[in-house]
Amino acid sequence: MRMLLRRLSLYAVTAWVAITVNFMLPHLMPGNPVQTMIGKLTGRVTPQQVHAIELSFGGLKGNLVEQYFGYLHQLLLGNLGVSITLASPVSTILRSAVPWTVGLIGISTILSFVLGTFCGTMLGWMRGSRLDSVIPISTFFQAVPYFFLGTVLLLVFGLNLHWFPVLGAYSPSVTPGLSWTYIFSLIRYGELPVITIVLSSVAGWMLGMRNMMITMIAEDFVLMAVAKGLPRRKVIMHAARNAVLPSVANLSLAIGLVVSGALLVELVFNYPGVGNLLLQAVLNEDYPLIQGIFLIITMTVLVANLLADVLYFILDPRTRTQAAV
Amino acid sequence: MIEEFATLVDPNDVDDAVLEIEDFSVDYGWGDSAVHAVNNVTLSVRRSRVLGIAGESGSGKSTLVYAVTRLLRAPGVITGGTARLSFDDSSSSTGQMTTLELTTASERELRKIRWSRVSIVLQSALNALNPVLRIGHEFDEVLKTHRPDMNKSERRQRAAELLALVGLNEERLARFPHELSGGQRQRVMIAVALSLDPQLVILDEPTTALDVVTQREIINELAQLRAQFGFAMIFITHDLTLLVELADDIAVMYAGNVVEWAPARDLYDTPRHPYTLGLLSSSPPLSGERRELVGIAGSPPDMSKPLLGCSFHARCPYALDRCSQEAPPLRVIDKTGRKVACWLHDADNVVPGPLRRTVRISAPTQAVNDAVSGSNQAVVL
Amino acid sequence: MSAARIPRSPKVLVGVGIVGFFVILTVVGPWLAPYDPSSTNFLPNLTPSGSHWLGTTSLGQDIFSQLMVGARATMVVALVAGLVATALSIIVGVAAGYLGGFPDEGLSLLSNVFLAIPGLPLLIVIDSYLPASGRSNSFVIGLIISLTGWAWGARVLRAQTMSLRNRDFVEAARIIGESRFRIMMGEIAPNLLPVLASSLLFTILYSIGAYVTLAYVGLTSTAVWNWGTMLYWAQANNAPLSNEWYWFVPPGVCIALVGMGLALMNFGIDEFINPRLRAGGLSGRLRRTSGLPRRPRLGFTPVMHHPQAQTSGSVLTKMGAQ
Repeated sequence: MRMLLRRLSLYAVTAWVAITVNFMLPHLMPGNPVQTMIGKLTGRVTPQQVHAIELSFGGLKGNLVEQYFGYLHQLLLGNLGVSITLASPVSTILRSAVPWTVGLIGISTILSFVLGTFCGTMLGWMRGSRLDSVIPISTFFQAVPYFFLGTVLLLVFGLNLHWFPVLGAYSPSVTPGLSWTYIFSLIRYGELPVITIVLSSVAGWMLGMRNMMITMIAEDFVLMAVAKGLPRRKVIMHAARNAVLPSVANLSLAIGLVVSGALLVELVFNYPGVGNLLLQAVLNEDYPLIQGIFLIITMTVLVANLLADVLYFILDPRTRTQAAV
Repeated sequence: MIEEFATLVDPNDVDDAVLEIEDFSVDYGWGDSAVHAVNNVTLSVRRSRVLGIAGESGSGKSTLVYAVTRLLRAPGVITGGTARLSFDDSSSSTGQMTTLELTTASERELRKIRWSRVSIVLQSALNALNPVLRIGHEFDEVLKTHRPDMNKSERRQRAAELLALVGLNEERLARFPHELSGGQRQRVMIAVALSLDPQLVILDEPTTALDVVTQREIINELAQLRAQFGFAMIFITHDLTLLVELADDIAVMYAGNVVEWAPARDLYDTPRHPYTLGLLSSSPPLSGERRELVGIAGSPPDMSKPLLGCSFHARCPYALDRCSQEAPPLRVIDKTGRKVACWLHDADNVVPGPLRRTVRISAPTQAVNDAVSGSNQAVVL
Repeated sequence: MSAARIPRSPKVLVGVGIVGFFVILTVVGPWLAPYDPSSTNFLPNLTPSGSHWLGTTSLGQDIFSQLMVGARATMVVALVAGLVATALSIIVGVAAGYLGGFPDEGLSLLSNVFLAIPGLPLLIVIDSYLPASGRSNSFVIGLIISLTGWAWGARVLRAQTMSLRNRDFVEAARIIGESRFRIMMGEIAPNLLPVLASSLLFTILYSIGAYVTLAYVGLTSTAVWNWGTMLYWAQANNAPLSNEWYWFVPPGVCIALVGMGLALMNFGIDEFINPRLRAGGLSGRLRRTSGLPRRPRLGFTPVMHHPQAQTSGSVLTKMGAQ
């Protein structure tokens, strides 16, 4: 339990750091971007909205400390300001965009982790076989930027071969709702983005798992499993069950990296999630939206980290008892 | 005469053997860079008996046993010899003995005899038990694989019985390895090894990692369990003193060769090979007065190079000219059937005093000390 | 740490080859470029030909020249970011691992916080507030990237330092009375080299990705040619949709190749650090020529009768008979 509490406090601190960085950046950058931005707002949004934006940055009055507490107060109230380009509250915009991203990246990450762990297990077990030639190829996919791979796949399999429907999250001719046609359309439109993210991130899990498998196979308990006359599948499980632990421990650290890459996939496929939104916001210098998205992504990643930690806690009995080895 | 002895194998041994190893050789690696870890070793383990294999680390004692069971890891390669495992085949008519040649067995055949006929206990139980699985799982998977007709509660029942055999409460079944002490873990390993009533249990330095008291307890328990269930054992250790209590026969290995193979008490009291003598002089006596412990001068030969002559000649205080030229075969030297690989016991030689004794002398003479220790490089304790 | 222990598997050699090629390109790329990459003197949207190997952009710029010139900015920023981030991770990681106690708690917290915050969104937020002068400055961009990329290395280095710090030679230096700084730099740092090298490779890999991504999103100056800005312009002009593959594929493939080379080099370092990853004594070639199974199987030790060994056994017996 102590391990989970430690992680929980780490995430609390991280959340606080992210919130504070979010506040400090616009105030500390040379040229006072907040003032400049608010100055430019006249005519684009209503005076009430200008006021809401000012509040979300901590107000323009008082010293930095007072502004900081003002900002925290507004954050607690859920006021992330108003998007300049979309002219509606950032929190409202995020509420509709976040589920898409969580769905897309969540499913892709789970798929990629499961697939990579499985392939890595087999590669580690079969070390020295012809399967090893997969390794150099997989490093190419590990290194290729997500958005570039997405573009190529979109072009080849979406637009030229028409194997997958692309651009958007579902067919424009389908009305969203709890219908099979809608769900089917969701899945079809999601396939290529998911494939892109899985292809780009699977190699990392695979190679990590392979190395750990090779390390674990050298352990005595794996030899014991063989000496016991267990079927090969069970011997592999003995090694894999231990080899997966570092992968799970890294899962919480790697989520940030995967999310970073995957956000751009949304742009390529015009997927209606926060990644797409973020890049639009960057192009339009829509600061309230940029900052809101940064916060929501960070918080979501922290929750995902915590889930990964819980998984580790379940998988490794040594974390549950404090008895010394 | 020598030729005759060299091929002589005691027929009584053979009939009753659980495991017969003949002319067995193991290399690490292949080609010019290969290390010859085990060279033409012949040994056998009799039914319900304990064979002790002693030797320094690197003598090939563990390599031999792992290779025989085909468990030796890469780059180990078996380069010659045979290993026959005999067991009651309950599937055929009762009392029928079946023999399996391990060096030509298929993976499937090996899987079938593993644990049900031959089980293994390793030096470190902490490493041998899967750290993320409960103790109960270790028993359960073995029974599930080899006794598919047992149901879950029968398997649990059996696991509890087995733990009771080694003096552990069945409550331990729900524990993880890191929650047990070193002695408890090793007891668990022994209990797991007995799950399927094997004919042969191989113990690879099972007590080395334990404190002296626990070590003694476990040795006693093993002796009792053997008396109760009648399994044979191969007990590998570097500690001859430990062996003499438990083993019926002891084989001493040096640089990949068996240099002496004799009934335990004979070998301990009246060693016939200079290396055995040296090994005994370097370990504390079982009983009797304290004496100075003496190490063996020099170090084992480089086993990647072909050896000319006896592997021990460079360190042997009694070495003859012949010893550096020809390798002595392991052959019977007296009526007790003990086998020694040493030219000193050739008919036309005068055997040096320490290797000629007929009764145990609690302290080797000073002459032996001087002779064996040579440059007096190591004085222990 | 002798040269003999450095693995020379084909994977590593290919990796070194690829990275070496691009390092050379970094130096000579701008001289190899046949034209000024920004010059719009040519016909727009030309397909690849003898005079324009990769065709021209919709503004009539030579794409091959952009690729050659762009190599330098991409590689330099990645290298600067990688070096700075590694320096930061050494300072934080080695200090935390060596000092232990309260400083360790604090520094570990710092690196864990930076690990948990997703890097790219943070990068984008910081970058979006930069004045234009900052965005066009490659070093500023490199520094910001390094700020989001040091934490992983610090974590790995801390663990390695902690395991080193209690070893005999460090203990000896402490007893002699060497200063802490000298022990850290003189005794611990050299033993961290393999871990450090691995961490540097990955940080450079991360930095290339981050830099190219920022450029692709339009957050670096579009006046500085790098592979990311090429992709940005290609995307902005719908090159992918109009099948102008020669515009967007080459920079993407170059990025992936550099990353692949770095990852392959890292295999060598991995094998150096973890001996279990090295092929177990028998090379693939030896296995093939000897007739041994290609892949060692656990629990099935191979049996290969040496023609010589069998005879040598009987020779010994015969010799004994004489």
